[in-house]
Amino acid sequence: MFGQFRQWEQNRHDYAQAWKERTGGKVMGYFCTYVPEEILHAAGVLPVRILGSHEPQDVTEPHIFGMFCPFCRDCLAQGLKGRYDYLDGIMIAQSCLHIRQAFTSWQKHLPTEFSYYLCMPHHVQSPRALPYLTGELADFRTAVEEWTGKAVTDANLDEAIEVYNENRRLMHAAYDLRKGDAPPITGEEAMEMVISSQMTDKAEHNQELKRILGELADRGNSRDVGARLMIIGSEDDDIEFINMVESCGATFVVDEHCTGTRYFWNEVQPREDRLEAIAARYIDRVPCPTKDWMDRKRIPHILELAEEWKVDGAIVMQQKFCDPHELDNPAIREALHEQGIESLFLEFDVTVPVGQFQTRVEAFLEMLSGEDLFD
Amino acid sequence: MATKQIYETKPLACWNRAKEIRKNYYLDYAKAHESGGIRWAGGAWTFSAIPCGLGDDVYSISSEPYAASIAANREFSTRCLEATERAGYARDLCSYMRNYWGSLILDEYLWGGPFPRPDFIWQDHICCSHAKWYQVVCDLEPGIPNFCIDVAVGPAGEINDNKLDYLVGQMQDGIEWMEEVTGRTYEDEKLIEAVDNECRATSLWAEICCLNKAVPAPLEEKTMYSLYVLGTLMKHSKVVADFYAELRDEVRERVENQIAAIPNERCRLMSDTQPPWGFLNLFRYLADYGAVSVGSLYTFGLIGMWEVKPDDTWGPRTTPRERGIEIKDRNQALRVLAEWNLNKPQWQHFYSPHLKTDLMLRIAKEWSLDGVMLHYNRGCEGLSVGIAENRLGLIEGGFPVMTFEGNMGDEREFDLARTHVRVDTFMETLGLKKDDAGSEPSEQTHRARVCT
Amino acid sequence: MITAGIDMGSKTIKVVVLRNGRIIGKAMILAGFESQQAAEQAFATALEEAGITGEEVERTAATGAGRKYAPRTQQAISEVAGDARGVHKLYPNARTVIDVGAEEGRAIRCNEKGKVLDFALNEKCAAGAGAFTEAMSRALEVKIEDLGPMSLTSENAIPMNAQCAVFAESEVVSLLHQKTPKEDIARAVHDAIASRIVSLARKVGFEPEVVLIGGVAQNKGFVDSLQRALECQVMVPEDPEYIGAFGAALAATEG
Repeated sequence: MFGQFRQWEQNRHDYAQAWKERTGGKVMGYFCTYVPEEILHAAGVLPVRILGSHEPQDVTEPHIFGMFCPFCRDCLAQGLKGRYDYLDGIMIAQSCLHIRQAFTSWQKHLPTEFSYYLCMPHHVQSPRALPYLTGELADFRTAVEEWTGKAVTDANLDEAIEVYNENRRLMHAAYDLRKGDAPPITGEEAMEMVISSQMTDKAEHNQELKRILGELADRGNSRDVGARLMIIGSEDDDIEFINMVESCGATFVVDEHCTGTRYFWNEVQPREDRLEAIAARYIDRVPCPTKDWMDRKRIPHILELAEEWKVDGAIVMQQKFCDPHELDNPAIREALHEQGIESLFLEFDVTVPVGQFQTRVEAFLEMLSGEDLFD
Repeated sequence: MATKQIYETKPLACWNRAKEIRKNYYLDYAKAHESGGIRWAGGAWTFSAIPCGLGDDVYSISSEPYAASIAANREFSTRCLEATERAGYARDLCSYMRNYWGSLILDEYLWGGPFPRPDFIWQDHICCSHAKWYQVVCDLEPGIPNFCIDVAVGPAGEINDNKLDYLVGQMQDGIEWMEEVTGRTYEDEKLIEAVDNECRATSLWAEICCLNKAVPAPLEEKTMYSLYVLGTLMKHSKVVADFYAELRDEVRERVENQIAAIPNERCRLMSDTQPPWGFLNLFRYLADYGAVSVGSLYTFGLIGMWEVKPDDTWGPRTTPRERGIEIKDRNQALRVLAEWNLNKPQWQHFYSPHLKTDLMLRIAKEWSLDGVMLHYNRGCEGLSVGIAENRLGLIEGGFPVMTFEGNMGDEREFDLARTHVRVDTFMETLGLKKDDAGSEPSEQTHRARVCT
Repeated sequence: MITAGIDMGSKTIKVVVLRNGRIIGKAMILAGFESQQAAEQAFATALEEAGITGEEVERTAATGAGRKYAPRTQQAISEVAGDARGVHKLYPNARTVIDVGAEEGRAIRCNEKGKVLDFALNEKCAAGAGAFTEAMSRALEVKIEDLGPMSLTSENAIPMNAQCAVFAESEVVSLLHQKTPKEDIARAVHDAIASRIVSLARKVGFEPEVVLIGGVAQNKGFVDSLQRALECQVMVPEDPEYIGAFGAALAATEG
């Protein structure tokens, strides 16, 4: 049923190139989910998130110091290996330091006709961030208009906002189905759904989502759900890992990570000034740790998710060396523990030792089911 | 080991004064409450001029220099790092943070007694860790009011009113906030004076670094660390600005009299990122080869403020006062302060390493360098970001580069012996031998001298 | 002129004796805890093979991690210089030298005169050396000398984690449990080290001719992996572990 999402995810480059040929439009590769995709969509550009390929590589060492996360190096490797040669532009909205190196090295060594560094504010909890970002988005829009040679009007923005909001609503609807005792979607399928949304035209993705939601209404769940897990963390598109965990007698029912709900959780709320409306969405969205200060907003949100999705346990993962998550994880795990939700902590690399991780996951699941006996 | 004496050397006359200023800084912070004063904690890049408006008895502790001081005390540092690890924090986090948190967790102040709790936190967010450093401090010690200003608005070349408004807006909010949490009334004249001092101090530091263009270099980097640190503690203070004026005069005199930092200078290098603080004797090892590190973008451009002069050379930034600007009110003071700081050279590479490469190439040319030593510093992501591209850029620019891995604040990640091996190999490629083995200057070093 | 070169490696000590630029004697011995004693022993063996006495050696140079402790030497050069020197003599067209020993991997770029232009050594999280193959051969329960030939019989590339050796070892254990054929795992191990070494080589920017030396060069499986990863031919001299000492002995002729 989720085959289309998987097909898109696995053949991302074919998809983008076919889109280019079909529409004659430009493709923009982006490095962080704070990129205001609505503006790009409004300009007729296809935004595609640059992700890694989970293969060991030897090409990034001269460009990025090995102590930075494996994900940013994997992303740059894709460019250096020529897999993204079809991109017309690249951009980043600043968040963490690591991924920005993939962008700046790409800018120098793999130049595209357009590149943009958006100074997305970090102090999203300050009222000053909104007027600031609105101003930055105005400059960004102008740059995009110059690049594409056409104006980006309010009407264009309205249309883009609606398509994106619909995509978010539809994915919410799919996630809502996972609240029940017999979730009809596995974590693996949900991951394919969300990742594929980051690399396809949202209108197309919406069509597929609607079709799936229709079919899901009839899809029962013959799977034994097992332990209801939540996965929390950094960038994560390691489908092999999700698959392994779900084969051990567990189901991921919800997540809070960069390639999951953090991407689509918040809609654009309407405002007269469309750019301000878009800015508000990115400021108010579930934050990346780099922007979650001075209050920790991720924690109440995570606890709420855990409660609504009736989570038994959590897997807290991060890319190796990811400082922002390392700064949040002790507090998150403590907060979960206080709510009676135990967590397993794992560090990810480009490839993961599935066998060794399985041992740990099995032990964790045993521990979770052991607790049930004493409730 | 007999050192060839080519130049005269002598210690700095104002050295003891520098030590005294630094010592008093840390003691004043600890004793602040005794005389009814207040104290705050924040990073070295924070807008330290702003809390000055709360009175003349406001003291601070600057987190990175404090942590670097811990790192120089390897025994205490190890205890701090281990305490932080026991509390569940990852080993690859910024080593300054880990030393600092450890000092808190152990409740031991480096200069004796318990760790003096700040009345408030006044921070700015430059790297991924900066704001969150103090977020964790509040996890560890709840109840300390904290405020952090986001300065990530882009490189100096792209400053516009929208960006300045964002910074100034946060600063204004911060002032109202600090009035609330301290119960004090803010005095704008004190802010204006502090901004003035900061511009003067940071411009003077750049002037001092410029004097190191001379051959022989009057200062070497290890010494410079102990002098530049005063700017990281109190760049806003009259004490530091006056001291830098005094230091500048003394260094000028050294240049006029060809007084050198090392007596056998025949190879000029620069380093990059913070040094491994527990192993500064690495610089003495360089001296065995007649090699001197004359500075770095880190030493020059974290506290120093610069501009390109009409003759296209790098020099100290002209202060607003020197340009005839008289700051009249709070808003103007804040705007001047924001713009001044956004021009900080060490800030630019956060947006693109290639901006930093340009600055490093400029230093390499104008300071007549023979080579570069890059510290691939696992302890600081902020300053190491993009360093691999800097290396490529410097090589492309024709400069020999050596790299050595280490950690500014975690001695377990620095191997002095291995680093010596790399230095030996690098010196070999530059054609240099240690003094006791007899030396001929390499073609490159000779060329460097001829050019100045 | 008769000179000698001693390579005081961390694991093994190699001695080479030269007469007029040709090797007339050589010896290798485990360094052990008493490296100076071991060096003397190796020296004696090499002299015996050369059929000369110690007094006939006019000058000796040392290289290697322990070169400060080498007995009987008048001169010391770095491993990087020793490698470049030795390789350049045998392969005047060499522009890249890759040395993979027990504990250290390094990549060196040199010019047509054999002068070192740039070098890169192992770093944390970017390391490849012989110790890894030894650990892997134990995990696979094969003799270290059989690991190479075994890997060459594999026809399946299995990607192994290229970053952390500890993670990689975990992967080998997993693969074994999944009943992956040993020759495929062996190949994956060599590919993994080769990948890390190539990362190192890319730092200095490699160009042909590429010459591989050091103990791990004897491992034909590794050579195969390296050639595939570099996408170019790699020359391996006879007695690749002796090249550092050979280079030192050559340096001694120049005094």
